[in-house]
Amino acid sequence: MRIGFPHAGNVYIPIRTALQELGVDFVVPPPTSKRTLDLATKYSPEGVCLPFKLTLGNLIESCELGADTLLQAQGFGVCRLGYYARGQEGILHDMGYNIEMVKFSVSEGNKLLGFMRVFKRISGNASWPKIIMTLRFGLSKLNAVDELESLTHKIRPREEKRGETNQVFKEATLAIENAASHSEVIRLRREYTKRLQSIPQRKDADPLKVGIVGEIFVVLEPFSNLDVERELGKLGVEVVRTLSYSRWVKYSLFLNPLGVDEWREVHKKAWPYLKRDIGGDGWESVGEKVLHSRDWDGMVHLAPFTCLPEIVAQNIMSHTREDLPVLTILCDEQMGRAGMITRLEAFADLLKRRRTKLRSEGLLRN
Amino acid sequence: MKVYLGIDVGSVTTKVVALSSDGQVLSSVYLRTEGKPVQMVQQSLSEIRQRLQGVPIAGVGTTGSARYLAGVMVGADVVKNEITAQAIASLHYVPDVKTIIEIGGQDSKIIILRDGIAVDFGMNTVCAAGTGSFLDHQADRLNMRIEDFGEIALESNNPVRIAGRCTVFAESDMVHKQQLGYPLEDIVYGLCQALVRNYLNNVGLGKELLSPIVFQGGVAFNKGIVRAFEEGLGIKTIIPPHHEVMGAIGTAFLAEEETSQNGNVTKFRGFEVTEAKYATSSFECKGCPNQCEIAQISLDGKVLARWGGRCDRWERVD
Repeated sequence: MRIGFPHAGNVYIPIRTALQELGVDFVVPPPTSKRTLDLATKYSPEGVCLPFKLTLGNLIESCELGADTLLQAQGFGVCRLGYYARGQEGILHDMGYNIEMVKFSVSEGNKLLGFMRVFKRISGNASWPKIIMTLRFGLSKLNAVDELESLTHKIRPREEKRGETNQVFKEATLAIENAASHSEVIRLRREYTKRLQSIPQRKDADPLKVGIVGEIFVVLEPFSNLDVERELGKLGVEVVRTLSYSRWVKYSLFLNPLGVDEWREVHKKAWPYLKRDIGGDGWESVGEKVLHSRDWDGMVHLAPFTCLPEIVAQNIMSHTREDLPVLTILCDEQMGRAGMITRLEAFADLLKRRRTKLRSEGLLRN
Repeated sequence: MKVYLGIDVGSVTTKVVALSSDGQVLSSVYLRTEGKPVQMVQQSLSEIRQRLQGVPIAGVGTTGSARYLAGVMVGADVVKNEITAQAIASLHYVPDVKTIIEIGGQDSKIIILRDGIAVDFGMNTVCAAGTGSFLDHQADRLNMRIEDFGEIALESNNPVRIAGRCTVFAESDMVHKQQLGYPLEDIVYGLCQALVRNYLNNVGLGKELLSPIVFQGGVAFNKGIVRAFEEGLGIKTIIPPHHEVMGAIGTAFLAEEETSQNGNVTKFRGFEVTEAKYATSSFECKGCPNQCEIAQISLDGKVLARWGGRCDRWERVD
């Protein structure tokens, strides 16, 4: 048995670590690339959403490396995510790969227990304490990388020498990924936080603050959104993003079952316009716009092409009473880099002039 | 009097204007790009040079899809996207403008402004059915010059409804209507209405189009389209003078703004760039499986700039 799994932003780090610690045979598919996308579009239904295609591409590349047991998320009800695992399983079988799909739920039941059962199964019945220890170790890496990444959002628009933040963060990710112990992760996290903070910054920088919201996969997988965060950083924009996989894990696996709702405030703000979950992250997108209309300068809303929930959210957002410029970017394989950069540049210009005006009228908090 | 140059290199046409500091267009050049941006920038600059007869240039700005390339070539003080550039130019001529409709060769945009600042914009994404190329192509099919298209459309009394959702369907629908024997002017105006319908339903979707509306871009030459817009919106549109070179005008204004903040020093390399030997080339990066196609421009064997990578690897040029 050899395990393979799809990429989704930084998620490969904890999965890889856990599998390594449990002594399971596994492959990490190559980072999502143009080749992944080419393979994926060849074998996917044309109109399906980009996350389906990209994760299918990762799974095909895993199979090419000899994987025969694949991990994939599944949910129910709210959107096409519910069909991912089943659909991809069928496609891979049709391609002639004799694989088994191990599905874990990301929407119903006790997700933590579900995850632990999956790991128990693929590890050939490792002991519960061992599984808990490995998950904790893997998740500590995810937390560290996510925390450093959100720090890069602040540093990048202020750096004196362009590209330095990216360089340090790349080193940090690699070091944390390969860390051998929990204490090493903690040390690296501290060390790289310092290194990021010591990058020379322009004193006069006055970056715009732009929130990034939308469907979680395209928000968190830089390949799928053409590195929108870095491009915004280059334009001197500070990115604020609430979504991250470590946050998802923290709440969905641990705190939600205890009755803590991390989106309470956001859902409350969305209430006048939208009163229920519509799939994807549509409800949250609407709420974030309303919540941050005074402390963000603008918002970039990312959605996979043909994603119904986010399209519904997009159309609600343009009609809220709270005013905040929103740029919706639809992500799919036809998306061109030049077109996106032109839009981001124009958006940043628009926000800058708007901010100058609002400041002169004393209407801005920041 | 100071003179600023604005260069707009679009996918279909290249536009250069010489703008005086009081906002007068002293001279403008309008050429087809024909896939040769470097030559066309050089050609249009040498024409401007002859007309200006030795007036010094105080600043240069570039815009359009080849703005970075043109910016590196001439030594631009400001390189700006076409949305911002066009909004700036429009605001100069119509200070209270609330809506800008811009239709060029291969893209169309809408810019919504309130109280003198842009608050929203939209651009066509996947389809050519709302742009100038569409009309160009159909005029070709109907065997007429695109310049005559508008005049013919104005003669129509009973326009034919043509499916404008997609260029391919529009074409077959148009052929069908021709075969049924509808008069030419009704088909031509039907096409204009199809383009406008497509624009309003795609680019303009969900936007509030308030008056004053400025209509600019090459397609504003077409009187049939202007009529179709005014009928479709029920509002008169304003077509500013020099509407086909608004992007270039806007970036010239921005060059003025930029140089005035930098102690009136321009980075312009001078009109010698019209004779310089630029070479463009491209290669595939083998650094990772993305295999980005990197394009570069060099002058006398020295690389000036590179583009096209997903990462920073090739961005720095020493």
